[in-house]
Amino acid sequence: MSQPAANNNETPIEQVLYKKREKIYPREVHGIFAALRLLAMAALLGIYYGLPWINLDGHQAVLFDLPARKFHIFGLTFWPQDFFYLSMLLIIAAISLFMFTTLAGRLWCGYACPQTVWTEIYMWIERKIEGTARQQKKRDQGPHDAAYFGVKATKHGAWLLFSLWTGFTFVGYFTPIKELWGHLLSWNLGPWETFWIFFYGFATYGNAGFMREQVCIYMCPYARFQSAMFDHDTLVISYDEMRGNPRGSRRRGTPSAEVGLGDCIDCGLCVQVCPVGIDIRDGMQYQCIGCAACIDVCDDVMDKMGYPRGLVKYTTEHALQGQPTKVIRPRLLVYIAILTFVTGALVYGLLTRIPLEVDIIRDRNVLYTETDAGLVQNVYNLKLINMYDKKQSYRLSVSGLDGLQVIGQTEGIEIESGAVADLPLRIEIDPVELKSSSSEIRFHIESETTPEIVIDEHARFLGPVAR
Amino acid sequence: MSTLPATRSDKNQLPVVQQIVSVMWPSFLTASLATVIFFTLFDPVELGMIGGFPDLTRTGGYTIGFFCFWLLTSISCALTCYFRRPTNREIHPNSTTKS
Repeated sequence: MSQPAANNNETPIEQVLYKKREKIYPREVHGIFAALRLLAMAALLGIYYGLPWINLDGHQAVLFDLPARKFHIFGLTFWPQDFFYLSMLLIIAAISLFMFTTLAGRLWCGYACPQTVWTEIYMWIERKIEGTARQQKKRDQGPHDAAYFGVKATKHGAWLLFSLWTGFTFVGYFTPIKELWGHLLSWNLGPWETFWIFFYGFATYGNAGFMREQVCIYMCPYARFQSAMFDHDTLVISYDEMRGNPRGSRRRGTPSAEVGLGDCIDCGLCVQVCPVGIDIRDGMQYQCIGCAACIDVCDDVMDKMGYPRGLVKYTTEHALQGQPTKVIRPRLLVYIAILTFVTGALVYGLLTRIPLEVDIIRDRNVLYTETDAGLVQNVYNLKLINMYDKKQSYRLSVSGLDGLQVIGQTEGIEIESGAVADLPLRIEIDPVELKSSSSEIRFHIESETTPEIVIDEHARFLGPVAR
Repeated sequence: MSTLPATRSDKNQLPVVQQIVSVMWPSFLTASLATVIFFTLFDPVELGMIGGFPDLTRTGGYTIGFFCFWLLTSISCALTCYFRRPTNREIHPNSTTKS
């Protein structure tokens, strides 16, 4: 290996005015980290494409039922009123991201980010149809003949099919996927569903097929602020300059000392495999998504040369400077503390959550009426929402004033899962029992079927004060 | 939607992708957020009833709402981009308009 194969990758991406972005042809990598990434991707894509098809008790296990304004997540049903839990979940996600970034740098970007995962899949499809990076480049620079267009059309066809399936799955999280599939087969999709399938499919096609690393460089907010979470003990991918420089080619198996060079043979492979087109040997760069492809490929080269592995490796700045790396540090402990607290609060909230919502609305037209029997009557309208995932039967009682009578249904109030019931109630009392013109009464509603569902709500009872 | 025309002396001009992205993407993110918050509070079907669109479905309402938000937020992003364009890069004393 003499000079590095000329490649466009070495030219910086943010260049001059209106220069078109050079397409990056990353070379395929094999190795430990490539295998790990593959594993992570298979798991994540498996979850994404598989989850909507899983049923639980005859319902789709995960369904963000927007048309019905309900979220079903493994047997739990969330209502717009439960927005609070969603925001807690988002806080947990954000803090976890911060914590992992502090600990191990851009793990998220390299292994779990949808942009990375889908880009990998699209590149994989591209490689299956167009061949290796070298073949792709040669084709792109060669004549645009029938064969060229044939290959390109096949690739875009495959990409589009995959995109549409992705879009279909996406919509399947919001409308029951089996019904959606039925509609699709009978060519009977609703206009909005069709629109979103195409919209999401198109976004995937564009982002994973064309935009690729530009999404990370120009669009991703995380890529811009992640360095704020870095310190000298954060795991980063780095080239060992002390060991590698001066770089230069030499015959296979020659000890570096013999030729007066460092261990880097300047083969340029680390640049060729880079999906964002940077040279890791130039030091830390914000474009680096931490995919570890350069580690895998360099380890391979080191093996061939008979040098120890790890010229490019996961390391910390402290380690590179020959200092010990501290894993436990205050910043990390703070993240862990916040994370534990918020997760605990969420779990507690979910465990003690009562899946019943009661609204008591007093009749607005009349304050009170007096019956023929001389009793004072107030009219209420109870709105009960059964947020439990099964049909429930409730009973209710009212207390707070002596001798009050409830007229209306107080037992066997049956409400389907997710349904709302309106329950008109009249409450009567002998006016001598009234101590003031407005007294507090307590509605006690409990489930006859599920004893832990109990709610107490307060309301006012109005009437004349007995003199 | 290419936002800014090239000015001759402008060496700090952003790449086209970045220009498009800096309008469409932040507005997309904020529009998504606005959509989630807005429709958590308001039911599109009820809004449709009030607004004179009794046939509006929820999915349709969400979609229209999202794109209205996106349109608005992208207008504000585009204006930001437009206004942060430097003016009077070259000052020529005693000469009138020269771009």
